[in-house]
Amino acid sequence: MRDRLTAELARLNSDIRDAEHRLHLTLDAAGATGGWEWDVPNKILTGDARFATLTSQDPVELSRGVPTSRFFASIAADDQKRIRLAVAGILAGAEIFSKDYRLIKGDGTTRWVHAKGRAIFGDDDEVLKFVGDLVDVTEQKRVQEQLRIAQSAGAIGTFEHAQGFGTVTVSDQFCRLLGLHPTRILPVATVNQLVHPDDRPIIEPILPDQPKPDSNIEFRITRADTGEHRWLARRGEYVRDLSGPGLRYIGVAYDITSSKLNEERLKRLNEGLSESVKERTRDRDRIWQNSRDMLAVTDNRGRIIDANPAWAAILGGENSDIVGKLVSELAWADDADLVAAGYVKSFSEGGAAFESRMQHVDGTPRWVSWTASREGETIYLYGRHITVEKEQEAALGEAEAQLRQSQKMEAVGQLTGGIAHDFNNMLTGIMGALDIIKRRLASGKLDDVERFMEAATASAQRAAGLTHRLLAFSRRQPLDRKPTDVRQLVLGMRDLLDRSLGEQIRLLVQPSPDCWAATTDANQLENALLNLAINARDAMPDGGQLSIETHNVELVAGEVSGLNVQGKDEFVAISVRDNGVGMSTDVLEKAFEPFFTTKPIGQGTGLGLSMVYGFAQQSGGAVDIKSKPGLGTAITLYLPRSLEERDDHIRQISLVPQGAGESVLVVEDDPSVRLLVVEVLQDLGYSAIEAVNADGAIAKLRQDVHFDLMISDVGLPGMNGRQLAEVARGLLPSLKVLFITGYAANAVNRSAFLADGMDMISKPFDLEQLARKIRGMLAVGTS
Amino acid sequence: MTGANINLDELERDALTEVVNIGVSRAASSLRKMVSRQVLLSVPSVEIVTQATAASLIGQRESEDLVAVKQEFEGAFSGRALLIFPETKSLELARAVMGDEASAEQVLELENEALAETGNVILNNCLGTMANMLRQSLKMSLPEIIRGSGERLFSHSADADKSALVLFLYINFSVQDRNIRGYIAMLMDLPSMTALKILIAEFIDRVTEDAG
Repeated sequence: MRDRLTAELARLNSDIRDAEHRLHLTLDAAGATGGWEWDVPNKILTGDARFATLTSQDPVELSRGVPTSRFFASIAADDQKRIRLAVAGILAGAEIFSKDYRLIKGDGTTRWVHAKGRAIFGDDDEVLKFVGDLVDVTEQKRVQEQLRIAQSAGAIGTFEHAQGFGTVTVSDQFCRLLGLHPTRILPVATVNQLVHPDDRPIIEPILPDQPKPDSNIEFRITRADTGEHRWLARRGEYVRDLSGPGLRYIGVAYDITSSKLNEERLKRLNEGLSESVKERTRDRDRIWQNSRDMLAVTDNRGRIIDANPAWAAILGGENSDIVGKLVSELAWADDADLVAAGYVKSFSEGGAAFESRMQHVDGTPRWVSWTASREGETIYLYGRHITVEKEQEAALGEAEAQLRQSQKMEAVGQLTGGIAHDFNNMLTGIMGALDIIKRRLASGKLDDVERFMEAATASAQRAAGLTHRLLAFSRRQPLDRKPTDVRQLVLGMRDLLDRSLGEQIRLLVQPSPDCWAATTDANQLENALLNLAINARDAMPDGGQLSIETHNVELVAGEVSGLNVQGKDEFVAISVRDNGVGMSTDVLEKAFEPFFTTKPIGQGTGLGLSMVYGFAQQSGGAVDIKSKPGLGTAITLYLPRSLEERDDHIRQISLVPQGAGESVLVVEDDPSVRLLVVEVLQDLGYSAIEAVNADGAIAKLRQDVHFDLMISDVGLPGMNGRQLAEVARGLLPSLKVLFITGYAANAVNRSAFLADGMDMISKPFDLEQLARKIRGMLAVGTS
Repeated sequence: MTGANINLDELERDALTEVVNIGVSRAASSLRKMVSRQVLLSVPSVEIVTQATAASLIGQRESEDLVAVKQEFEGAFSGRALLIFPETKSLELARAVMGDEASAEQVLELENEALAETGNVILNNCLGTMANMLRQSLKMSLPEIIRGSGERLFSHSADADKSALVLFLYINFSVQDRNIRGYIAMLMDLPSMTALKILIAEFIDRVTEDAG
């Protein structure tokens, strides 16, 4: 029984706990109010269970009544004074109590409550009761706090406007945005009058019929406090009014001045930029349009994408004819490949410069100097029209050539005087000697005839040398360079020099015994030495000593000026030394200049030393000149050593080969030459038959006479010597032919001119040369 | 914004609000008896601003012309008290006070008197209560009606005290389910304001000790 009662009690207690728990849960769920009643005269506070729970007090005690000080139980310390003050107000006669404050719960957590109460007065206005209730607003506070922070941190103001109302509910932040005193309610007019008259108002006077989101509206305002102009934006939604029939606009506003300013700045910058781009484009366009040079944009093969008007101006036609074509298509046909090559180069190397002719529509060429530069797949082409420059260049070249020609003519004039003088001297020698010989022959005094004949011969040889030099100078004959025995050559010249220099000059010819062979033209070397010897003679009008020596030397680069030496080379040095008047430094400097002469006009050609110089240069050697006024001059020729065999066929003067009755046909229109040649041939033991021209010669050949050799002048009247030779060979295929020519031009193309079994001898020649040549030719044929 | 050396801290503002609330509650009680209708009055907040600010505050918050009941006071603190309504609200208040049975003409005719009487009750109670609570006494002049913009109301005080500060309060009327918004402005010079601040501090000490 007792156990049963105990069990029952336990069950009831459990039920009660359950009920209490359920109650708590219900209260929690309902968010029910916690009511209180403060009995002022009796100083008793009663409260319901919810009030007790919120203030962490015993519900049973509170329902029975507790001291009024328990009203302040659990109120956070920070809020105590404020609430006590408000309650004091009520107890002193204030009617309305409306406060938010914090309650600290047993577990230390904090809840926000809103206490709303009022005083109840007795008949004589004394306060009887203070009643009210608590509502837990923690969540609401949290949301409010979040909203407040969101507003202040984001500088976003909120506002609400219900349809038909003249006022708008605003947040503090909203007021701050507009520079208004913070408040909750503002007249619509107050808000809207701050907005720029041209912009949409903050609060729309007319609301739409249906709820909908509103678009983003931007507007300018004048701040109420500072008068500052700001940009604001608002956005929001039209929603059903919870408490009224119409719509309500709930919106936010925020300051966008800085972004607007940035936007504005950016816009201005953009405008400025596009303006400057436009301007630059205009500039470029102007350059493009007005340029007198050809400008074009092409693809990488030269197809013209765009061309400026200069193209049409320079090449004729219309610009539309040019665009779309290849640059090479517009080129002068011969230059098309050149242009195409220029394009290949500019594409591979990034740029190219070249000149080409372009074809004008009238079919004539235009010279253009191109610069092409590549950027990616595009090539920018710049062309300058240079036809005029090209013409001027050509005209200039022509003028220069004319100038050179006239200078040459002037030189020839000067030369002629000198030559005439030399020739007169030589002719006087020859004619005088011949005259004396003729008279001695007439008188039968033959004993010293030979002396005059020698003199005539020497003069004639000098004349021959001079003409040879002139021809060499005028024709620029290439040197016939071959290994030459210098020692033999110098020794061989002794007689000639002796005769040329006269008795007042003592001649010493001292070639070194071991003298190397040199690679040079033997004839030219003789000429050069003769020239130098004659100059030396002229430098010693009162007589003196002239020496010609040779040395073998090894020279290194720079040792002799004007000498091109690779490392170390071997040379034969030939010095011509006199002890005459010498040369001053001024003269020395000009000594090698053509036509420079110290002799009076008509006494020298001025070609001597310059010829020597040119000869040495062409030989791969050099000339060195040393001179002191009053002491004499030494001129040294350096000729490269030849390592080949010496030419031993030089001047075997003593032996004149004789003929053996061979039959020779002589074709020469000049009677004296013909006479001489025939005489010589007969003297040498040949049988000579003469003809004056080709016809005569052919007639002789047809007479079926056997001829071993035909000697013919090249320059015959009618059929020339070469043609005659062809005909003669037709008749007599084995016939040898020796041409006599006065023109070095023929000799230049010797190999082309001569066929097998033919040879040539230049006028003037001495009889010894002729004899040797004939003998040589006939010997080849018979051997 | 206050532009003065007088700054009330939060608690002082609460205390002042409470004192004013006691005053308006008494006024409401008087009005209830006068008009035999339910009348509730409350003052949610209070601030101290300069006259210029007060003018601009009202200017911003009210777009229409204003009507004010003015009374001078003198004592431990001296100055001028204004009970301010927007014109339309003042008419509404007059009608609410007079009752629905009054005709439009009557309302228009008696508006000034009704306002002056209502204002007198409210301001007297407010200032009187303040003086009582602060254990001081005040002498009050007769009420006077003035109309015009906020600027005009606050510059109307032609006296030299340009530096005068304004104790600026909102007041919510609830008369027969009509809510009417208004303002109470008490213009005081600096010494008066300083005296008031000291009195309030004393009051705070007293009530927070007493209560509980």
